[in-house]
Amino acid sequence: MSQADLSIPFRRRAGRAMEDAFLQEALTIATTKFIGLRREAFDAFPEGEGLRDRAREIKEATLQHLDRYLEQLIGNVERFGGRVHFATTAAEARAVILEIGRRAGARMAVKSKSMATEEIHLNEALEEAGIVPVETDLGEYIIQLAHERPSHIIAPAIHKTKGQIADLFGKELKRTVPADPEALTQLARGELREKFLQADLGITGANFAVADTGTVVLVTNEGNGRMVTSLPRVHVAVMGVEKVVPSMSDLMVFLAILAKSATGQKLSVYTTLVQGPRRAGELEGPEEFHLVLLDNGRVDQLAGPLREALYCLRCGACLNVCPVYRQIGGHAYGHTYPGPIGILLTAMLNGPGSVKELAHASSLCGACVDACPVRIDIPRMLIELRREVDEKRIAPWIERVVFTSVGWLLTRPLLYGLAGRVARVLQRPFVSDGAIRSLPLFGDWTRTRDLPAVASRTFRERWNELERETLR
Amino acid sequence: MARIRAELGKTRGLPPAEPTRRPERPRVEAEAIRAELAERWPEALERFRRELEKVGGVFYRVATLAEVVPVVAGIARDRAARRLVSWHAAELGGDLGPALTAQGLEPVAMPPGEVPSAAERQRLRELVAAAELGLTGADLAIAETGTLVLSSGAGRPRSTSLLPPYHIALFDRTALVESLAQAGVFLELWHADGEPGPRGAVISFITGPSRTADIELTLTRGVHGPKEVHAIFVEASIRG
Repeated sequence: MSQADLSIPFRRRAGRAMEDAFLQEALTIATTKFIGLRREAFDAFPEGEGLRDRAREIKEATLQHLDRYLEQLIGNVERFGGRVHFATTAAEARAVILEIGRRAGARMAVKSKSMATEEIHLNEALEEAGIVPVETDLGEYIIQLAHERPSHIIAPAIHKTKGQIADLFGKELKRTVPADPEALTQLARGELREKFLQADLGITGANFAVADTGTVVLVTNEGNGRMVTSLPRVHVAVMGVEKVVPSMSDLMVFLAILAKSATGQKLSVYTTLVQGPRRAGELEGPEEFHLVLLDNGRVDQLAGPLREALYCLRCGACLNVCPVYRQIGGHAYGHTYPGPIGILLTAMLNGPGSVKELAHASSLCGACVDACPVRIDIPRMLIELRREVDEKRIAPWIERVVFTSVGWLLTRPLLYGLAGRVARVLQRPFVSDGAIRSLPLFGDWTRTRDLPAVASRTFRERWNELERETLR
Repeated sequence: MARIRAELGKTRGLPPAEPTRRPERPRVEAEAIRAELAERWPEALERFRRELEKVGGVFYRVATLAEVVPVVAGIARDRAARRLVSWHAAELGGDLGPALTAQGLEPVAMPPGEVPSAAERQRLRELVAAAELGLTGADLAIAETGTLVLSSGAGRPRSTSLLPPYHIALFDRTALVESLAQAGVFLELWHADGEPGPRGAVISFITGPSRTADIELTLTRGVHGPKEVHAIFVEASIRG
């Protein structure tokens, strides 16, 4: 499955993903590994918790005065000879970038990994305009060759095996190569090195931009970010308006927690600080530097219910810990940004109507809040979204009846106790080995999991017993 | 911008939040860091070595700039490499060209400034792209993360540390800092008004060799950038 078909209901998309045995294994291995690496990194970094609070406050401080910081950023980028463009919509952003490409006479654009350019569907637009877009992050390169979309924010090709990649390279690059990650990587290095040296246009996202200095910051592990900002004649950086930070001192706070949250590294291999085009005296570097500031629904949320989602650093930590993402992977979500934060970002970009189903693709367990480097309260916003999109009742009638009754019961202690004793008797035909394996009318709840049987003694009965024993 | 202001106007009454405290006088704080490190540098250097090795880098320590030559020659010999490009001598702290040539290498130093001729720039780019070894200095070495910080500029092109598969960087005690926070003070200093800032448009933090885990999460080195990073600490000062 290359790309989720949005005409298919989410439940069915998720179901297909769960039947894909390879995807299931890849997801489990990848997310478990990322969780472990992240935990180790923070365990070895006691000041990390304090820095997460600090980072959160910086985001809040920046958003409260976003006008001031953006003006400062724009002034400083221009001071160093860069040009700044503001794009209200994805279409405007595409038009700006195509115009830059046309003026530069560009035939090929090398890109370093950027969710913002995915978000505005830039590659299709470049192709139509006769500019060949080449993704240079290895994972992105693989999925571009396969005509697919990323399945994970930081590991875009985790859904593919090395065997599939070797076949793909064989078919698309006409080169035979063993199914070995090292050999495959070296082949891609050679292919892409040529492109870096030929391309007229370099397109990147931006992890941060420093208002005080007009510096755009790129974080990569492979070095493609450095290539794209050094070799082509024109560099375009595309960035959501919320990515601005006030100063270099603030930047260091984010750098200290970003890679730890994403991959468990203390720092990513390359952090590249770009302040405008090639400076006088420099042998190389782009002649033109453009910064495209992207709104695309963000500004509306400055005072909106999804405001806190604007803190997001795009590290992917919430994907790895999410019990839903871990089961269904990125494609089933069907939009640019997967996972718990992806639901919120999708609502931000495309309106709440676009997440009617997705707003429910969460157990609200809160693991994402714990993993998020800036502690975004994703479940709170998901609940608000559900309230907003749920004029239509989507739960089956039986669930609504049961939940209403249970709600009523839970506020009446005596009846609740009685209900426990009744359930103990009524459940008998369905219990085997201490669990309810299937329950009539609740097939969806018990098809892939078991419900623990009602205990033979309730907590309150045991508590009373214990109290009597201790008093004796 | 008007729309942003209108939206922000609706958010009054949020709990106040402050960005990070910035050094009021970055020069004074930077000097304080250097003064502290005049005592503590051996511990910081040891930590830098440990962290660099953790990310797959190789550490060396030599007494003088002249002693760098046999180390570089050794790295080249073990990899059957000869072609070396380097920053301009003024940016490296000295001219190692003749000594490297005597060791059987083919060193080419980058020009001290801009090159007006497009053909000449193209020739240099091809030369760098074909080189096996890239020799640079470093403006900071961050102990906490094993990171080398290189600012671009005249005589110090970006590609020297990027295109060749083996990157060798020289640094001395004055480059050493303990933490990312301390590195932040130097970044503030370089960008402060009236201070001699970074000469070029790019500052690169380099933490070990280029890597990816995009194929089945298998760690692979040298995707686009160098597959090896060697950091040589020179005890004698190599910067003015």
